[in-house]
Amino acid sequence: MSKKLTFKRCRDLILGVVLLALGIFYTIYAQQIKTRPKLTPSYSSARIFPTLLGILLIILSVCLIIQGIRAFKSNEEEETKKLSRVDLLSIALTFAAMIVYIILLPRIGFILSTVIYLFAQITILAPSEKRNLLQFAIIAVVFTAITFVAFRIGLSQMLPRGPIEALLGF
Amino acid sequence: MSVGSLIAGGFGAVLTPTGIFLMLVGVAVGIVFGALPGLSATMAIALFLPVTYAMASTDAMTLLMALFIGAISGGLISAILLRIPGTPSSVATCFDGHPLVAKGQAAKALGVGVVFSFLGTIFSTILLMFLAPQIAKVAINFGNFEFFSIAIFSLTMIATLSSGNMVKGIIAGVLGFMFSTVGTDAIEATQRFTFGQTTLKSGFDMLAVMVGLFAVGEIIAAAETSHHQDKEEITQPSMKGVKGFGFSLREFFGQGWNAIRSAVIGMGIGILPGIGGGTSNMLAYTVAKNSDKHPEEFGTGRIDGIVASETANNATIGGAMVPLLTLGIPGDTTTAMLLGALTLHNLTPGPLLFENQADVVYGIFAAMLISSVIMLFMEYFGLRVFVRLLSIPKYILLPCILVLCTIGAYNLKNNMSQVIACIMFGVIGFAFKKFAIPSTPFILGFILGPLCEQNYRRGLMRTNGNFVPFLTAPISAVFLGVAAFVIILAATKPLRAKKKAEKMAKAANPAK
Repeated sequence: MSKKLTFKRCRDLILGVVLLALGIFYTIYAQQIKTRPKLTPSYSSARIFPTLLGILLIILSVCLIIQGIRAFKSNEEEETKKLSRVDLLSIALTFAAMIVYIILLPRIGFILSTVIYLFAQITILAPSEKRNLLQFAIIAVVFTAITFVAFRIGLSQMLPRGPIEALLGF
Repeated sequence: MSVGSLIAGGFGAVLTPTGIFLMLVGVAVGIVFGALPGLSATMAIALFLPVTYAMASTDAMTLLMALFIGAISGGLISAILLRIPGTPSSVATCFDGHPLVAKGQAAKALGVGVVFSFLGTIFSTILLMFLAPQIAKVAINFGNFEFFSIAIFSLTMIATLSSGNMVKGIIAGVLGFMFSTVGTDAIEATQRFTFGQTTLKSGFDMLAVMVGLFAVGEIIAAAETSHHQDKEEITQPSMKGVKGFGFSLREFFGQGWNAIRSAVIGMGIGILPGIGGGTSNMLAYTVAKNSDKHPEEFGTGRIDGIVASETANNATIGGAMVPLLTLGIPGDTTTAMLLGALTLHNLTPGPLLFENQADVVYGIFAAMLISSVIMLFMEYFGLRVFVRLLSIPKYILLPCILVLCTIGAYNLKNNMSQVIACIMFGVIGFAFKKFAIPSTPFILGFILGPLCEQNYRRGLMRTNGNFVPFLTAPISAVFLGVAAFVIILAATKPLRAKKKAEKMAKAANPAK
């Protein structure tokens, strides 16, 4: 059987190495925590738990690395659905849309940024044969309007303000 | 105040026009969330939290309990009609539910599911009403030792039981615990892992973490599959000529013992931390199957299977509320969300809640009872509407949910900091999915971590550094002992499995 280097094969190995690095960093950083030895005795200082947790994570990630190596060596590999390029693209775009949304929110306000985000996100997620841009735009506007009215007026909660909010007098 | 007047007060607080309206909305939305595969009770509560910010605490809890009950029951609709469980709590409902639909008895399958969901909730709520005040009376004397040991016990149970891979379960719990150490230390008031950031001084907000992990992470994960939507055609069940709930009184009484047994299983599983409705329905189903005279008939459309699964998963609700209300310890993600909601309304669940805010506690009990009655009628007679809602495409639903999450996170502090945290935890949630790390131990590690740490350190300060009292205080000793036992049992499981396999192989090939 050929040994292909797939994500699933080395998943635990990658994870183990990342967590080992995190554990070492966390443990070292835990030693930098300022304590007040005059106020609290060393056995209940603020460093105790972070240190213990860091060491525990290091041990566990070593276990995971061993598990990962064993899994890598064994020939048993389940057939997994490979990620197509479309799927990867849509994950990347979804992530990008969220980032842009939180950048825009405080700058152009809730209404504008939410309409833009909803329209973009629905378009990204919809299967191509169901892509109906006009319908998506209407949904984006209507849903934004409903939530704005419900939260800002109905429940009188704060939402990020922008030009449209200013125009409407909120 | 007597228990009677407390119960009456609870009903009085909930049976207001606002309360009834909130329960109707909560149950309806809950059923929809339960019925839609991919949406869960946890997500329903997460989304409605921002709506409750401005409400009185009793109203808020009424709405959230209605959502909880509706969502756990709603899973049966898609389990029976689509053969896809709407939530993990309804997996076993599929086994006999769908074959009944194939036989043309959809109305009967749904009727049985709804009625026994109702009975499961009522049974567990009544038991909760009797149990919880008694436990609270005992728990009021708990100190640092007991709370430390209970936190350790819960963390152990969750980390070892909630996933197939124990190492990953424990890693998830440890990671959650590590995130909880970020911020100002509660005892020494020094900064831990804040890296000079002012926003990190107060630590990560429990709700931002949960909403991020469960809602935002779910949306990113959906981006992967939303392009290949399965074109399931949902058949509207025919209700013509169906009387009542579609089954006879004889069939109802025939299920008596099965229902009681399943309800007890559900309640018990609910009380234990770490294993929730996802386990209880399977366990009750297996027990019902194995104790039946004709186990081979299960899976071909026996109502016993639906009764076991649906009674057990709804009985888990009352069980899960026991440790939440009496000790402030959530056993699963849904109750963790409820803990967040209680904290948001300045209520601290635990033994003192029963002394100081008994009105809220009995309001919750009343809301649970009335919501299950609403659920009984709404779910069965409004079924056609819910079935129609099942066809709302996910690519529209999920972005709308993200917007609601954003509003909720924004309103926690009225600035962007929690929104950013929320998206960050969404990415972590997505990574967890990809690396097959369970997220429940993470959440509970995050919530129970501080409880564990502070009680340990305060306890040691009281005893001048002596750990022995943790082991000699009787209740504390019991919990630590059970935790140690669970760890040993789980750690030796692969060894025992190997031995068993060897024995089996030997028995099969005596010649070797």
